[in-house]
Amino acid sequence: MSRLLGVIDATNVVGGLQDLSLNRSVASIPFAGRYRFIDFILSNMVNSGVESVAIFPKHQYRSLMDHIGSGKNWDLDRKKDGLFFLPPFFEPNENSTVGSFARLDQHLDFFKRSHQDYVFIANSYVITNIDIEEALAEHLIHDHDITELVNHTHSLDMYIVKKSLLIELIENRKNSQFISVSDVVNQPLHNFNIGTYTHTGYAAIMNSIEAYFHHSMKLLDPTVWNQLFPADRPVFTKVKDEPPTRYSSASTVTNSMIANGAVIEGRVNSSIISRAVKIGRNSHVTNCVVMQKSQIGEGCTLEYVILDKDVRVLDGVTLKGSPEKPLVLRKGTVREMAVSM
Amino acid sequence: MMVKKKCVAMLLAGGQGSRLQSLTTSIAKPAVPFGGKYRIIDFTLSNCTNSGIDTVGVLTQYQPLVLNSYIGIGSAWDLDRRNGGVTVLPPYTEASEVKWYSGTANAIYHNMKYIEQYNPEYVLVLSGDHIYKMDYSKMLDYHIQNEAEATISVVEVPWDEASRFGIMNTNKDYEILEFDEKPAEPKSNLASMGIYIFNWKALKEFLEVDNVNEESSHDFGKDLIPLFLNEDKRLMAYPFDGYWKDVGTVKSLWEANMDLLKENPGLNLFDHSWRIYSRNPNQPPQYISHHAEVKESLVNEGCFIEGKVQHSVIFQGVKTGEGSLIDEAVIMPDAVIGSNSVVRRAIVPEGIHVPDGITIEPEDNSSDIILVTDELIEKLRKDVTA
Repeated sequence: MSRLLGVIDATNVVGGLQDLSLNRSVASIPFAGRYRFIDFILSNMVNSGVESVAIFPKHQYRSLMDHIGSGKNWDLDRKKDGLFFLPPFFEPNENSTVGSFARLDQHLDFFKRSHQDYVFIANSYVITNIDIEEALAEHLIHDHDITELVNHTHSLDMYIVKKSLLIELIENRKNSQFISVSDVVNQPLHNFNIGTYTHTGYAAIMNSIEAYFHHSMKLLDPTVWNQLFPADRPVFTKVKDEPPTRYSSASTVTNSMIANGAVIEGRVNSSIISRAVKIGRNSHVTNCVVMQKSQIGEGCTLEYVILDKDVRVLDGVTLKGSPEKPLVLRKGTVREMAVSM
Repeated sequence: MMVKKKCVAMLLAGGQGSRLQSLTTSIAKPAVPFGGKYRIIDFTLSNCTNSGIDTVGVLTQYQPLVLNSYIGIGSAWDLDRRNGGVTVLPPYTEASEVKWYSGTANAIYHNMKYIEQYNPEYVLVLSGDHIYKMDYSKMLDYHIQNEAEATISVVEVPWDEASRFGIMNTNKDYEILEFDEKPAEPKSNLASMGIYIFNWKALKEFLEVDNVNEESSHDFGKDLIPLFLNEDKRLMAYPFDGYWKDVGTVKSLWEANMDLLKENPGLNLFDHSWRIYSRNPNQPPQYISHHAEVKESLVNEGCFIEGKVQHSVIFQGVKTGEGSLIDEAVIMPDAVIGSNSVVRRAIVPEGIHVPDGITIEPEDNSSDIILVTDELIEKLRKDVTA
């Protein structure tokens, strides 16, 4: 039985991802053809043996709730422990960093009632495949108060802390002035023993559209693909029952990642194509990210474009962004005239 | 006390399917993979759930292990229900006797208690061996409207093939007058699809009569239907005009897979209003490499394609190496096709590993389909090194 309680703080707003998070929380931004951001951290927890996971959502959590449901797809629909969705009773005034005490305080009972001794606190915008058990082992060997998970020199904004200390920090926050777990780690003046655990695998910190695009393209590198999707540590997601991808006689596809239910009749190079996407004849899609159910008509040319869900590009349209500044078509957009940047 | 159900489905899934050779040495025919993602039984189970039939007994016998764990509690087909849902019904022992199912009707006879629990008006008897999409609720409406005791779904087959099927001779109103099992000289080309709706009261009565008849083979087509006819019960044929295929041989299994690749396939897997459900393998999207070429094919998640794929059906988790060619082939889950290997007009079963530089294809001008086995690969490998 795992000694870890998992907490996903899905309340953080990532300014740079605004185009993709207008109608959804950052945690439910689609990624890698069939996943949402939160699938990765949630699967990491489950694969590391964590049996109790609490998700703290912010506003606009409908798409997130719809995606997570009872937690069944992650095997978290349990009689004992399992998945807990803990929305705020009220929105705290301060805009906090990861592990906001004001937010955790609203569900303090959850922490007090849980039998696990340690808490793993994560955000929803870092995408990686990590063994949390190993991080806990380090935490215990070095007897840290808080262990921060890092990748190279970057913080992953993921922390391990003893539950009793977390409860103390939450209850004493008025005196201590610390506002979050992340805040404690980053303040120089205190007596806590803060350590780090270095994760050497691939980690994508999604803090801007450029980062989102860069890491999407990185998926096409088999070494990255293998690090994010190792066979023994699968990434789970909501199941959609799409048929296999259909390639027509006119399709030409190279260096791309394609999800189920897609129908490809055109030309696709170096792109990420999600579930149930349609790409028409004589269309050229290069260096693009196309999300669920978007439809590209016939004779279109798209380069460096991110198409959010349900976007329709009508016949003959040309859309071009650049590697540094990909063009983003927001959810539900219909494009009919040529735009060039 | 169980809640009464209007109609209970009994799905016969115990068939060995021995003509599928090595594909069915360790699994029953309904568990054979089909269409890049599915197993044959997915079509019947999805038809049930899409038709609003939520109580399904699945009768297993031959090699049930894979089938039992595949069906589980039925969640994949939304058949995990508080009342009803899916129930796997294996043969069982009673007192001192082990009751193997000796025929299709006998299998139902032994599970009458299961049906009784729901006290249904109608029983739908299905076979888990066929590929088709059908709304059973429409067939039930037809059965009720025609005030039949039994209704049998039929499909028109080419006249020259009719002698391979159970043929229904009907009048112009589709009332069944005669049943001919594999007639040498067929009088009709309406073949039974192995889909029956019975009034439960009548079926129960005839199952009991049939059970004590020592000369009976306890088969629906051969024994039960003639019994209904002898007693002058009203039997109706329900004409079905959609895609229906019995994938009983290696060739027909291959053909049915190839049918999916047509421009407008008879069986549309992309119809969201009649989805075919299956246990999802949960693998990442497929990766098509720089050197790959994929045309006229269905490819499922988790594949890593580095070679050329044309006119083929590729299941989940398949890997194909650089310089390989897959042409008019069916590659089942987790198979690996090595670099510079050729697989043409063949079925590669689940988990088979075709090493680098091997060519698997039928002899010139042969219309055969090769079922790849480890023994065949061993032989070809020796030929290459010799």
